Amino acid sequence: MNLPEAPTPEQLSDLLARCALRDQRAFATLYQFSSAKLFAVAVRITRRKDWAEEVLQEAFVNIWNHAAGYSSAKSAPMTWMSAIVRNRALDWLRRPREVEIDEEHEELMASLADESPGPEELLRRSLEAGELAECMKALTEEQRRSITLAFFYGLSHAELAQQMRKPLGSVKTWIRRGLDRLKGCLDQLVK
Amino acid sequence: MRFADETLRDKLAAEYVLGTLSPRARRRFEIYLRGNPQLRRAVSEWETRLGPLTGVLPSTEPPARVWQAIQTRLQIGRKAKTGFWENLSFWRVSSFASGLLALALLVFVALPKPETPVEAGRMVVVMNDLATKRPAMTASWEAGQRGGRTLRIRVIGHAEMAPNTSWELWMLPGGEQKPVSLGLITTHETQIVKIPAALGSQLDAAQGLAMSVEPANGSPTGLPTGPVLYAGESIKT
Repeated sequence: MNLPEAPTPEQLSDLLARCALRDQRAFATLYQFSSAKLFAVAVRITRRKDWAEEVLQEAFVNIWNHAAGYSSAKSAPMTWMSAIVRNRALDWLRRPREVEIDEEHEELMASLADESPGPEELLRRSLEAGELAECMKALTEEQRRSITLAFFYGLSHAELAQQMRKPLGSVKTWIRRGLDRLKGCLDQLVK
Repeated sequence: MRFADETLRDKLAAEYVLGTLSPRARRRFEIYLRGNPQLRRAVSEWETRLGPLTGVLPSTEPPARVWQAIQTRLQIGRKAKTGFWENLSFWRVSSFASGLLALALLVFVALPKPETPVEAGRMVVVMNDLATKRPAMTASWEAGQRGGRTLRIRVIGHAEMAPNTSWELWMLPGGEQKPVSLGLITTHETQIVKIPAALGSQLDAAQGLAMSVEPANGSPTGLPTGPVLYAGESIKT
């Protein structure tokens, strides 16, 4: 089956409102429209398709159960759903695991190295990111790199420091100042 | 942690959304988040700021087993039963691809349309709180009369309305028809809503009622825009 054109935020909000009323057909449609985008988010953070599948499943169960709490006045539907997927993916990564953590960590770090195209490349190419991409350009290279790595791969401060081979204190400062600057820039553009 | 400090609040919200908090800090933050609306707002603002980043990722189709697993977990989609909750579909989004609708129709059994006027009798709707699944509001009226209807509403328990919002009551005609506003209601335990004659027989035949949270003066669009808190099926007694 061919997937329909990208749905508008209004369509997605409408589907969420119907999910709140336990409309299963709306839920199936919502899944059709959004699962590929959301799966990409989960794959990027968890780095493993099988984990990403678990995360996506958890996230859609959450979306169905909490659809009544969604408010179109507060956030765009894709933003709301992506945040659920991201949070489930981050929980998944940070959950207590039986697997040897060092080994897994090495795999993660190795997989970051051969990434193609990288998130920064994607960001450069992207037209969708609009204002955000504009504001990302205003950051220093270290700030931009640490923020994109953290966002796309769900890396903690310590993991970032290791990945970037920089002191933890510097990474924390880049992130903090980068976020500050982003906020200032975006808030100004929105006004 | 002190969250009265707005700068600290915003910094933590940003790092939470970015995903850099340690597992322990993250769990603690989530506990604070539940009881702190200002913190929730800060998180939601950061989600909106950074959210567009996810748009740059190329779409990746998940395998079909994910959707099957979701259906199994939620116990939806597979039943032949045509109950209210299994079949509600109130709004049609006309621009959806027809293939998609056809597929959806294969999965979900279409609801028979009510046609004939409902005979005289008492109609009752018990609306459940969709979050707790418990009865939260009831409505009743005499069906099958000429003229308008007098809806008797009873709010169960002590409900609270957030500032600058309103509660809007909706008639859900069923099938593919859109919800129809029945006006704003209050949190008072008992209240009466007058329904004009033009909507009388439609109300009698409606599939159910629902309540959504809307801006202070009601939905600006004529359709529910806020979260739907309560909904329930009409029962003829």
